[in-house]
Amino acid sequence: MSISLIVNGSAYTVDVEPETPLLWVLRDSLKLTGTKFGCGIAQCGACTVLIDGQATRSCSIPASAVAGKTITTIEGLSADGTHPVQLAWIEFDVPQCGYCQSGQIMAAVALLKEKPKPTDAEINREMTNICRCGTYPRIRAAIHRAAELQA
Amino acid sequence: MTAKLETSPKADLNRRDFLAATAAVGGAMVVGFHLPPASAQAIAIQGQPWYRDAMVPEINAWLTIAPDDTVTIRVAQTEMGTGVFTSCPMMVAEELQCDWSKVKAEYASPQRNAVEKAPEWTLQIPGGGNPRIRDGGGEPVSARNFTGVYRRLDTNSSGSVRESRYYLQMAGAEARERLLLAAAAMWKVPTAELAAKNSVITHGPSGRRTTYGAIAARAAQIALPDPSQIKIKGPDQFTLIGTEQKNRDVPLKVTGKAIYGIDVDLPGMLYAAVKACPVFGGMVKSYDFNAIKNRPGVHSAVRIEGKGPREDANYGTSGSEYRYAAVAVVADTWWRAKTALDLMPIEWDVGENGQRSTEELFRADFETMKQPGTIVLEEGGSYAAAKSKAAKVVEATYTVPYLAHARMEPGNATAMVTPDRVDVWTGDQSPQFGLLRAADEAGVSPDKVFIHTTFLGGGYGGGGGSDQIRQAVAVAKTLNGRPVKLLWTREEDMRLGEKYRPMGIGRFEAALDADGWPLAISVRTTSDRYDRSLTPAGTYKNMVSEQAVRGLHELPYFVPTLYYDVHTRNSHVPVGFRRSTGSGVNVFYLESFIDELAHAAGKDAYAYRRELIARNTKFRDRDDWLKALDMVAKMSGWATPLPEGWARGIAADDRRRAAPTRSATSLCAQVATVSVSRSGQLRLERVDVVFDEGFSLVNPLSVRKQIEGQIAWALSDAKWQEITIKEGRAVEGNFDQYQIARMADYPPQINIAFLKTNNKWISGVGEEACPQIAPAMAQAIFKITGKRLRSLPFGKQDLSWA
Repeated sequence: MSISLIVNGSAYTVDVEPETPLLWVLRDSLKLTGTKFGCGIAQCGACTVLIDGQATRSCSIPASAVAGKTITTIEGLSADGTHPVQLAWIEFDVPQCGYCQSGQIMAAVALLKEKPKPTDAEINREMTNICRCGTYPRIRAAIHRAAELQA
Repeated sequence: MTAKLETSPKADLNRRDFLAATAAVGGAMVVGFHLPPASAQAIAIQGQPWYRDAMVPEINAWLTIAPDDTVTIRVAQTEMGTGVFTSCPMMVAEELQCDWSKVKAEYASPQRNAVEKAPEWTLQIPGGGNPRIRDGGGEPVSARNFTGVYRRLDTNSSGSVRESRYYLQMAGAEARERLLLAAAAMWKVPTAELAAKNSVITHGPSGRRTTYGAIAARAAQIALPDPSQIKIKGPDQFTLIGTEQKNRDVPLKVTGKAIYGIDVDLPGMLYAAVKACPVFGGMVKSYDFNAIKNRPGVHSAVRIEGKGPREDANYGTSGSEYRYAAVAVVADTWWRAKTALDLMPIEWDVGENGQRSTEELFRADFETMKQPGTIVLEEGGSYAAAKSKAAKVVEATYTVPYLAHARMEPGNATAMVTPDRVDVWTGDQSPQFGLLRAADEAGVSPDKVFIHTTFLGGGYGGGGGSDQIRQAVAVAKTLNGRPVKLLWTREEDMRLGEKYRPMGIGRFEAALDADGWPLAISVRTTSDRYDRSLTPAGTYKNMVSEQAVRGLHELPYFVPTLYYDVHTRNSHVPVGFRRSTGSGVNVFYLESFIDELAHAAGKDAYAYRRELIARNTKFRDRDDWLKALDMVAKMSGWATPLPEGWARGIAADDRRRAAPTRSATSLCAQVATVSVSRSGQLRLERVDVVFDEGFSLVNPLSVRKQIEGQIAWALSDAKWQEITIKEGRAVEGNFDQYQIARMADYPPQINIAFLKTNNKWISGVGEEACPQIAPAMAQAIFKITGKRLRSLPFGKQDLSWA
């Protein structure tokens, strides 16, 4: 089945089974490998992308369900790594292994859109992605910093 | 492992087309390349970080210097989050005296390591490997096993700095001396009149200057007259080592540009999904490829024969070699391969272990615990005699479950097998042993195998030595030179890609005097064993599993009479190294038990420990332990009041090892502040950490990050994690059943302070802050609830209190 997607501002048509998760369309059809596979059941958030601005776990949403919607991946966040969230992540040296960080950053971008000055409680509630390296204190600090940079 | 192939009629990619298309992937790459100015620092490391043949002068195997002064340093450790792409180049650059802002890093070549011997001058360990020698080389544990040019092409045991610092410093010094020689020859002046700093060589008397980039080609042609005379700097001379440096791969990891094994993409590549027999060591009876062969994109099914588990000294120290029987489905996308595999009928021959369970294993282990094991300690006379004089006897039995690593990146490898060579793209903690596995699987000599190491999405001891390389090569062998990316589902990774931390039981008994001080302690433990060889340890130097006894073979506390014996056994469940290893288990037992003794004595947990350490005058590190405990107690406000339902617990460990040649330690003391609601909701609220920096840390920022992460790791171990075995197979397969600490679980307050012991090179920082959390939490939970938690995980137990 042909499915049309708008990813990072470009229109694509892919030929996949309609139930193929968006994650695998992004990774294997469009070669946008910044979005990661972690669990396949929307538990870990490594596959988080923005769909019409909402943080969404792309491993558990079929490609057919997002046809025509606007999808943003880590590759589309900025041309040169200068989105305020990316700058804050660099300033606080957040990543360790880094595998979950695309998803963490996309979740943080969505949070800051909803709550430009999030409290710690709001960060706890909205930032539910797993980081096995345990970079949480630096993610928290970087979100507060990104809020300042965006202001 | 042999592989049989059933193929559906699909044309394979033309071999010549493929070679043309892959030239850019496997071949040499120009060193300087261009990125937008805003991310200029990203050029420190390429998104595809693997080794490329040098296009600019190579001074020695560790580094090249380009005309623009760019220094590219080869890193033999795998970047899985511990910062080796920063700390390893720092150790080379410290001696090279180059401009740090122009240093790039890439992986060392495992193939080159397999064919080229280590230069003689890297084999001498300054100070003979004694970590207490200030100008020495630390403690290389396994130097004799690593004779390839890059020495230890392996990442484990918190050893990236401990094991390689001296020869990385030597590599930088050797290159610097040759650059100086080249300049001296060019200007016809004595080298003594030259100074090297920031990639510039200056001739003092004449004021002439040249740069490393300008002289590199000459230096590449010059040999040192006597490289055995290379001297490395001691800690007082460091200018780069010991400074906080941001990790140089971070810009790649915030843009999605860092290439992990799972991201590798080659022209004509196929994808494979795989299922191993769910009962460890079982066999494939049959499968029906016809049922799925007409599904979209499906290419073939491959049977992978099993041969495990077995022990083989050729594969290093990463536990036993497992080769599970499995079936792979190959397709044109991974999702198609995976969905087809899920639909393909497979019959397994689960063998004799199909009814095994953790309950049964614990029952058998409790039976074993009735018998004496191998004696580790027998000191100060008979325990029974001491017990007869006791005012009070305290007894406690602790248990721990199997634990999975659950690294974020599911196991994967991309392999291409052609008549000339075998190529594998993967993140593996041990590229040199991964190379041997690939060679063995492909039936070729090691020099024909090229491992292209990628970024690795978490290791923690579990990112090496698993089946994925063997499986990928076995599948690739059937594909006529076409590359294939084999990837596990999360469930496959957690259930069959793992070597779990052993389950275990520890029984402790103490005879206390009238004031509550121990007259004698008797200990017996049992666990799975994964050390390949045994170590002489303790009173009689009996041969024991070093990991099984680690930390209990020598107590920091004064106990006049000590008895300790140990059982180890194996079952069909695979076990192996996992962050904090044997200490993670034994420190939970010991520090929990010491707390039970303090309570029985009616004494404060900190004061009780302090006194037992102070009395232990034979303990070499007694004064450092006292300093660390005092410091962490002060930081945490130990005696200050807390709200109702809150309490603190204290614990310490230094990862002392039982092997006589392994004397390096990293002392870490912690206070955990915990809250438990009346309904039993447990939270880790705050952790205060004192960490030993010895003579010098290499990158203190990286150390802080490691400690922060280890708190999350150890909290997950303590609160939730458990792998249970039922019907011979692992039950937990994904994060809904195997919980990992998230943002809301992470303690809101962390304080980390370094203790300047200045008397040793520490053993490492990759896991040394893990073992303290569980016993410190248990201590605090007891204070709040009156419930003594003697088994992990705590979160599955009723913690409510009135």
